[in-house]
Amino acid sequence: MLSRVAERLYWMSRYLERADNTARLINSITQVLLDLPLGVKFGWDILIKILGLDDLFLQHHSKANENNIVHFLIQEEKNPGSVVSCIRLARENSRTLREILPTEFWERVNGLYLYIQRNASGARHGRSQRYEILSQVVERRQSLVGLVTNSMSRDIAYQFIKLGQNLERADMMTRTVDVNSEVLLPEDPIIAVPTQERLWMATLTAISAYQMYRRQVGVHVYGKEAAHFLLNDPHFPRTTSYCLGEIEGCLAVLPDHEIPMKLTRSTYRRLELAPLGEKNSVTLHEYLDQIQEDLGAIHEAISRQYFYLYQTGTTP
Amino acid sequence: MDTLIHQYVLQNTYDELVGEGNQPRPATRPLFDFLASLDFSTLDARRQAVEAAILTMGITFTVYSEAGNIDRAWPFDIIPRIIDRAEWIRIEAGLKQRLTALNLFIDDLYNEQNILKDGVFPKEVLKSSANFRTQCLGIKPRFGVWAHVCGTDLVRDQDGTVYVLEDNLRVPSGVSYMLENRQLMKRLFPEVFQSGTILPVDDYPTQLYDTLAALSPRAGVRPVIVILTPGIYNSAYFEHCYLAQQMGAFLVEGSDLVVENDCVYMKTISGLRLVDVVYRRIDDDFLDPEVFRPDSMLGVRGLVRAWRKGNVGIANAPGAGVADDKVVYAFVPKMIRYYLGEDAILPNVPSYLCMYDDQREYVLSHLDQLVVKPANESGGYGMMIGPRASPSERERFAGLIRSNPRNYMAQPTISLSTAPTLVGKRLVPRHLDLRPFILQSEKIYVTTGGLTRVAMREGSLVVNSSQGGGSKDTWIVDTEGT
Repeated sequence: MLSRVAERLYWMSRYLERADNTARLINSITQVLLDLPLGVKFGWDILIKILGLDDLFLQHHSKANENNIVHFLIQEEKNPGSVVSCIRLARENSRTLREILPTEFWERVNGLYLYIQRNASGARHGRSQRYEILSQVVERRQSLVGLVTNSMSRDIAYQFIKLGQNLERADMMTRTVDVNSEVLLPEDPIIAVPTQERLWMATLTAISAYQMYRRQVGVHVYGKEAAHFLLNDPHFPRTTSYCLGEIEGCLAVLPDHEIPMKLTRSTYRRLELAPLGEKNSVTLHEYLDQIQEDLGAIHEAISRQYFYLYQTGTTP
Repeated sequence: MDTLIHQYVLQNTYDELVGEGNQPRPATRPLFDFLASLDFSTLDARRQAVEAAILTMGITFTVYSEAGNIDRAWPFDIIPRIIDRAEWIRIEAGLKQRLTALNLFIDDLYNEQNILKDGVFPKEVLKSSANFRTQCLGIKPRFGVWAHVCGTDLVRDQDGTVYVLEDNLRVPSGVSYMLENRQLMKRLFPEVFQSGTILPVDDYPTQLYDTLAALSPRAGVRPVIVILTPGIYNSAYFEHCYLAQQMGAFLVEGSDLVVENDCVYMKTISGLRLVDVVYRRIDDDFLDPEVFRPDSMLGVRGLVRAWRKGNVGIANAPGAGVADDKVVYAFVPKMIRYYLGEDAILPNVPSYLCMYDDQREYVLSHLDQLVVKPANESGGYGMMIGPRASPSERERFAGLIRSNPRNYMAQPTISLSTAPTLVGKRLVPRHLDLRPFILQSEKIYVTTGGLTRVAMREGSLVVNSSQGGGSKDTWIVDTEGT
């Protein structure tokens, strides 16, 4: 496998996963908003902060209101993490991978791209249209995943697709947990407890985890249990823990994997020490930042080992 | 009857579908009858389905001048162009004869130069050739073949004669569109393929693979074949991907390859891997900064050195472009006679070479009737169609010809044949040509038909996709079995 091809497979997969996760995150927050009692305010600015996009956002907008933030996260071409940008970049990458991927893959990525080009502006016309468009993104992305799962040999190309997907997913999961922990709840437990429950329920629903959670953990969704489930559950395929296991599995198949493998395992150990149930959300936030840094280090190690091994000079 | 095909009005040209009295030709009868059974709305529904399929299949080409708009949907007309197999057999023989002679010519130029010594090909033409690479002198590639992939453009005149318009043997493109056009037609008009008289075209990738594999310096092992592309901004990038996919070859960019110890390697996730054959889709100029343009970012340093040592096969061989020159073209019938002792099966379009005083004078005094072409351009750039050009345009070309006569040749305007094309709500005649592809290494092979390119604008003779041309599926139809 060419290093360049491996890198493009990896990034294509990351971009698609990011588009999907961002779409789910926006939809989950939109749902929560509808159920918030009077007096509880959700600041949309939390979202861009946790996605690490607040500086970039402020370069383009002065007001952090719902309209501006949603536009920034869905449509903004200057935001490389917007849904539109991610799909465009995934398409550009898969254009150069047509000889590697199943034939229909390109057709469907291209179909997704054409869909979002035509419809992204509709996301401004109210929440229900937005919900519909983002759900379409998730659905079409699902069909791409299905294609890879069912029509690709478990060769090296497949491993890089899986690596990209799981690193991105693991990272986004820590951010999703972070968003929920940052919502300021009222003092009164009579309002606070059910509000928090709804918040987590919406999150679980958005990532299609609610049913699995109920079977695994219980009907009530308390913050601590939900966060624990999303970070540490070993069976649900979107949890950070599960993703790390997948990354480990991919690396095992790849040559010369010692360094990224070591980093993956140490991240895994850190994950088991999550300070859940602490009253102070700052502790959890800092801890999640640390996990994100660990994941960044795994990414760096993979890049150095497989993408730039023969590059002279600096990495692009 | 009042269907579109019955309202088709011929121009004063040879039409590929209908002959005298608007009657179909023997090979086109089934298509004619099928078209006669369709009304506009049915045909239009098929056209829309084709356009949707092109968009989702992502069949694209890139136009250089439109930076930012990286690709355009491939323009395709749903009415196929038909050639009788009996006629095709003769054309195929002519194409094989032509490429065989051209390869003997290139090999001769870089080695003994007998054709110069015998005075059949003028030394001055070689001396002033932009694509003659002195760096390739004395090299003997396998089978003596330099141009392994050739796209030869054919046109048909008013009286039905098929002429060779030019030979593209640098990096000819278009074959992927030929293959995709057929896929589209089979997807959307399955009923017309049921008779079994339309010959299939889909063995090209296998034939290309065999042609390239025969160039591998390492016998007995499955060769590592790469397609070297200039990258995503090249107009034929779609085709490079497509062929890599169809052949199971690696699609590489210059930066993916490295030459060490005179061998070519590609950079993989687990180290360097030896490359046996490079099918390059990059012009000579950019191929290797060590030998050609030193500022090239697209090529591979040392590639030509590795080839010269016999450690890698390159198709087409560096320097093969010397025969892709519209002045050299005029000598092809003489080459065929010289090397093969045969008469050319396919005639050239009569050509006037501006390097000769008498021919130049004729060209300058007949600019309003001739097509003037520069020797080394491709893609329809830099040419002038005399009868359509303004007086000032003709004046400009007269100046160009006088200042660099070797670089220009002229031909009478051929009234290209037409075929019905769906434009708006009508079937109208549009001019077209045909580009078959010929492969040569150990064996020689011709595609079944080729890529039919059609000038979509009324009266236009320019068929290049970079100049707004479209394409049609090309059917070689067997009439003898029916």
